[in-house]
Amino acid sequence: MPRAAEISVNEREFILQGLKENIRLDGRPFDAFRSLELNFGDEHGVADVQLGKTRVIARVSAEVTAPFVDRKFDGIFNISTEFSPMASPAFEIGRPTEAENILSRILEKAIRRSGALDTESLCIIAGLKCFSLRADLHVLDHDGGLIDASCIAVIAALQHFRRPDVAVEGENATIFSIREREPIPLSILHHPICVTFSYYNAGGIMLVDANLAEEQVREGEVVITMNRHGEVCQIAKYGGVSVDALALLNCTSVALEKVKDITKFIQRRLEEDAKKRDVGGLIAELSAENAR
Amino acid sequence: MPLDTSTYALALLRLDGRRWNELRRIHAQISTQAAADGSSYLEMGNTQVICTVTGPAEGRNTGAGRSGGKEGEANLEVEIGFAGFSGVDRKRRGKGDKRTAEMAHTLSTAFSSLILMHLYPHSTISIHINILSQDGSILAACINAATLALVDAGVPMTDYLVACTAASSPTTSTSAGSDDVSDPLLDLNAMEEQELPFLTLATVGGGEKITVLVMETRVRVERIEGMLAVGIEGCKRVKDILDGVVRGFGV
Repeated sequence: MPRAAEISVNEREFILQGLKENIRLDGRPFDAFRSLELNFGDEHGVADVQLGKTRVIARVSAEVTAPFVDRKFDGIFNISTEFSPMASPAFEIGRPTEAENILSRILEKAIRRSGALDTESLCIIAGLKCFSLRADLHVLDHDGGLIDASCIAVIAALQHFRRPDVAVEGENATIFSIREREPIPLSILHHPICVTFSYYNAGGIMLVDANLAEEQVREGEVVITMNRHGEVCQIAKYGGVSVDALALLNCTSVALEKVKDITKFIQRRLEEDAKKRDVGGLIAELSAENAR
Repeated sequence: MPLDTSTYALALLRLDGRRWNELRRIHAQISTQAAADGSSYLEMGNTQVICTVTGPAEGRNTGAGRSGGKEGEANLEVEIGFAGFSGVDRKRRGKGDKRTAEMAHTLSTAFSSLILMHLYPHSTISIHINILSQDGSILAACINAATLALVDAGVPMTDYLVACTAASSPTTSTSAGSDDVSDPLLDLNAMEEQELPFLTLATVGGGEKITVLVMETRVRVERIEGMLAVGIEGCKRVKDILDGVVRGFGV
């Protein structure tokens, strides 16, 4: 099993000494995210997120299947993650590491369990047909903050995705291709975003969005998922250094600010993308008028 | 004869007749298995957990350089098994189940920072937990049982790690008119867990500082403060109970 190289003693000391003097390796303030970039693919439902040097691609696809027997009125939604060896030599295909398990669990709790996607709207005919939605997540480059980047990618991809339109007549459902009818956006009830806080110096120093080197020397972390309405969707602190309850409450208010910023950023990028795709509507396309 | 619970709501009692800040009965034993280095059996209400600790010993997969954990530290393995008969319906939860893996990960990271791992380089401490009956607060029960078993095994730790759950329910007091006010609840059973937003928290030695905090349900941010306060208070009481068990064994 390949293992990631552990950070050297000197490097560890250097980072910790810097943090004690209020300096981060890349010069950011303690409560700042790295530069966030979000691009959409040619197809609907592809989002490419770059958070500093970390890069994650999410792709949403839909197919029609039979719903689960015990959930007749719900569609199916799955998130699958894949860590490619391209991102880090420690990742292997087909053998999920503990980090990968935790990532997919947190995404599952943050997005699926919190009811971000209205699965009832994916139902076509109760008990017979429904859309099965699948979000595939590919980690292309790993420089820390995977959970935050992945969550942004999945949420952006879901917002960007369009599912084919359907018409139901009795027991028959017709699914229209993208050329026949304008595909419809998914109904998303809220937009959860994850923010990871890392602790150093026995819980005295708290960093937002640690990069890989900072992650390797941290003493504990907590992942808080919130939406911009001030609802906490998920908190995960799996041990590590003990933190005061008030410090954790303080984290939630910091997280709320970050979540509002990120949600706004995703919205802006979506609008820019929509503008680029809009050729002027059907009227412009059908117009026989030509420039004289 | 079923209990008449119709007046419970009026007396502000919960489904099982407890008040909001009451723990369920905790019954625990240590040194239950002769073969293991340390073992414990813990009941929190109807949740029953049995835990054994083996080690510190030489790791099982002793390949070249794979015997221990990090450089100069012990390796902590956690394995959790759900008995087939533990739930309401007989469902197998295989080893690949992500929820179980997440629980095991929580226990191993939480105890790694508590156990003096540097005393046992190149060795493995393994914790095996079997859940015999599920009735809510499973993660908390696992943490408490593991603490007792580690104490029994004589593994050096800085303090107890104690855990309990806390929830927040819509308010029952009639004076407050707004929806923002909520009542916290302590130590949930399975039925309450399905209905209410709840969190599991663990503190070191029943102190004020939180080591583990896991919440899986959506809740307003204002409600968390009350849940944390009640949870910390509950952990203090759990600490006293577990301490009583350990001291009682020594007599």
